Amino acid sequence: MECPIQRRENADLLLAYCARRLDPETAAVLERHMQVCPACRAFGESQQAVWSALDLWEATPVSEDFDRRLYDRLGREERAGFWRRVRPWFPVGFRPVLPVAVASAIVTVAFLVQSPSSAPSPAQLETVDAEQVERVLDDLDMLRQLNVAPRSADAPTQAM
Amino acid sequence: MDQRVNASMVAVAVVEPDAQLMLRVKEGDAASFALLLEKHRAPVNHFLYRMVQNRAVADELAQEVFLRVYRARASYEPTAKFTTWLFRIAMHLALNSLRDGRSERGQERLDEETPEAGGRQVPDRRPTVEQDLVYRVKLEEVRCAIQGLPEKQRAAVLMHKYQELEYSQIARVLNCSESAVKSLLFRAYETLRARLAHLA
Repeated sequence: MECPIQRRENADLLLAYCARRLDPETAAVLERHMQVCPACRAFGESQQAVWSALDLWEATPVSEDFDRRLYDRLGREERAGFWRRVRPWFPVGFRPVLPVAVASAIVTVAFLVQSPSSAPSPAQLETVDAEQVERVLDDLDMLRQLNVAPRSADAPTQAM
Repeated sequence: MDQRVNASMVAVAVVEPDAQLMLRVKEGDAASFALLLEKHRAPVNHFLYRMVQNRAVADELAQEVFLRVYRARASYEPTAKFTTWLFRIAMHLALNSLRDGRSERGQERLDEETPEAGGRQVPDRRPTVEQDLVYRVKLEEVRCAIQGLPEKQRAAVLMHKYQELEYSQIARVLNCSESAVKSLLFRAYETLRARLAHLA
């Protein structure tokens, strides 16, 4: 085997060996070479030391609300994206604030007009009903009197 | 030429599950995006943290990475491995952040409580005060050694050592040739051997 230290383009073999990324056959050949080559052996040992030192730097946990914050931002972008897609349909300089304010005002006025405070209360409804009943009873009385009066007037005629 | 690009896109999509997921995201499948996020959330965060060495900045950058992935879904074409594309975005953001100096303002220090320092578990149950102190000192040396590397070398080492990316992938992320990556790594490890070999 050609010494990897002597040939720079082969030096990545040593890096790959220390990173355990060499196929078993090549690793075996390199190991045999390192037994007889002090330079490669020293390189391998010091690289292994670096590799172990780098292992000390463990991964940090990802923040627990990472996904929630991301989806919040994606949601905001989607909503903003909807407006960006719709915007070309409106004239240049169109601002949605005015139409939205007008629509809100119309809805508010409609609500106030139809609100329960302007409708008759149940007590009022009862009063109205009683008055109506009284008026109907008076009307019936009057009709009864009118019906009775002609009959009594007709009676002598029939008798005659 | 176009045929060759199309052929490579088909090849990547066929062999790579992540590329297939991203193609589904492109078609509007939110569940596929959730799967990609689940798989790559931690590696992207870890890479960015080691690049900028500030948890808050790394977290913010990682959010930006996934936002950009989602924004780019409509124009996504599987011309390379998904991981390569993902780390290319992450690296670009990390380098911009480092050049802005955002991470330096809030650089974490040895005496700050970090998850890998304070709450670390070692195999022999709880570390003694001495073990913890030695660990912190070593960790700080590793951090400083990595931070001392030029940006490209640092990114190459982090992708090679911690993300286990292939030379070809690192080359595409860094926009250079494979031989340039090997050279970058060789020089970077040379520097690290000089600074860290005594920690063995």
